[in-house]
Amino acid sequence: MRRGFFGLEFPPSPAAARQVIAALLAVVVASALVGGTLGGANLVRAGIERARTEAAAGSPAQLSQIAAHGQKLFALNCSHCHADDASGDEGPDLHGLTKSDERIKAIITNGIKGEMPSFAKKLQEADKEALVGFLRSLR
Amino acid sequence: MELFLGANIWEMMHGGSTHLPIALMLVSAVFDALGGLIRSERVRDRFHAAGLFTLIAGTLGAFPAVLSGLILARWEIGGQGALFWHHVFLWPAFALLIALSVWRLIVRGRRTRAGFLLYLLAAFLAAFLVSAAGFWGGEIVLGGS
Repeated sequence: MRRGFFGLEFPPSPAAARQVIAALLAVVVASALVGGTLGGANLVRAGIERARTEAAAGSPAQLSQIAAHGQKLFALNCSHCHADDASGDEGPDLHGLTKSDERIKAIITNGIKGEMPSFAKKLQEADKEALVGFLRSLR
Repeated sequence: MELFLGANIWEMMHGGSTHLPIALMLVSAVFDALGGLIRSERVRDRFHAAGLFTLIAGTLGAFPAVLSGLILARWEIGGQGALFWHHVFLWPAFALLIALSVWRLIVRGRRTRAGFLLYLLAAFLAAFLVSAAGFWGGEIVLGGS
C-alpha cells in the first residue's frame, strides 16, 4: 500500500472505500428528498395560484372593491411608514407576506412594541379585512 | 397567551417543531466532538452513540418542521426579506442533516480518522446552518416583516 495526496491510501482500505460509497449514497438520498420537497412545493404552489386565479376571476368586482377600500385605508394609516407602494421605508416591505390573515389583523390591532403603533381604536374589523385584502393583492 | 390568539395551527406546529432539529443537531456535533477527544473506548463509544441518536432524531424532527413551514409560507421555497434568508440557510441545512444521517447509518463505527474529521466538520456546518435558519425564522415572527 502506498500513500498518495493528503495521506490517502491507494488502493483504499475497505473502511475508506465504504466511507466514500456511503458519502455518494448520502448525497443521492439528500438530493432526492430535498429536490422532491422543493419540486413538490412548487407544484402545490402553482396549483394553489391557478385555483386562486380562477376563483378570483368569478368575482373581480367584489374583490377589487375590498382591495380598493383597503388601499384607501393603507394610504391614510400605513403608507407613512411602509411607503405609498408598500415597498417599505421606516417599516418593512409588505409584499408577499407569509403571515396568516388573523396574524396580520392581530398586528394591526396590537401593533409591535417599540416599532409599530396599535390601530385598535382607529380601525374596525371590516377595515382590517379590507387592509388584508389590499395586502394580499400586492404582487 | 396573546401569541396563540392570532396564530393558526401551522404557526404553532412550526414554532414547536423547529427547535427540535436545531437543538439536536447542535448537541449531536458536540457529543461526537467530545467522543473524539476521550481516550476511554467505552466512554467514547457512548458519546458517538449519543451523537448518532440525536442526529437521527433531529433529522426525523426536521420533516414535520419543513412541512409545516412550507404550508405556513404558502409553499414558497424562496421568498423575500427574512423569509428568503431563512430559506437560504434552511435548504442546505435540511440536505446536510439527511446526508449526515445516511452516512452515519451506513458507516456506523467503521470509519477512518480522516473520515471522522470530515464528518465532524460537516456536522458543525449543519449545526451552524440550522441555527442560522432558526435565527431568520425568528426574524420572520418577531421582526414584524
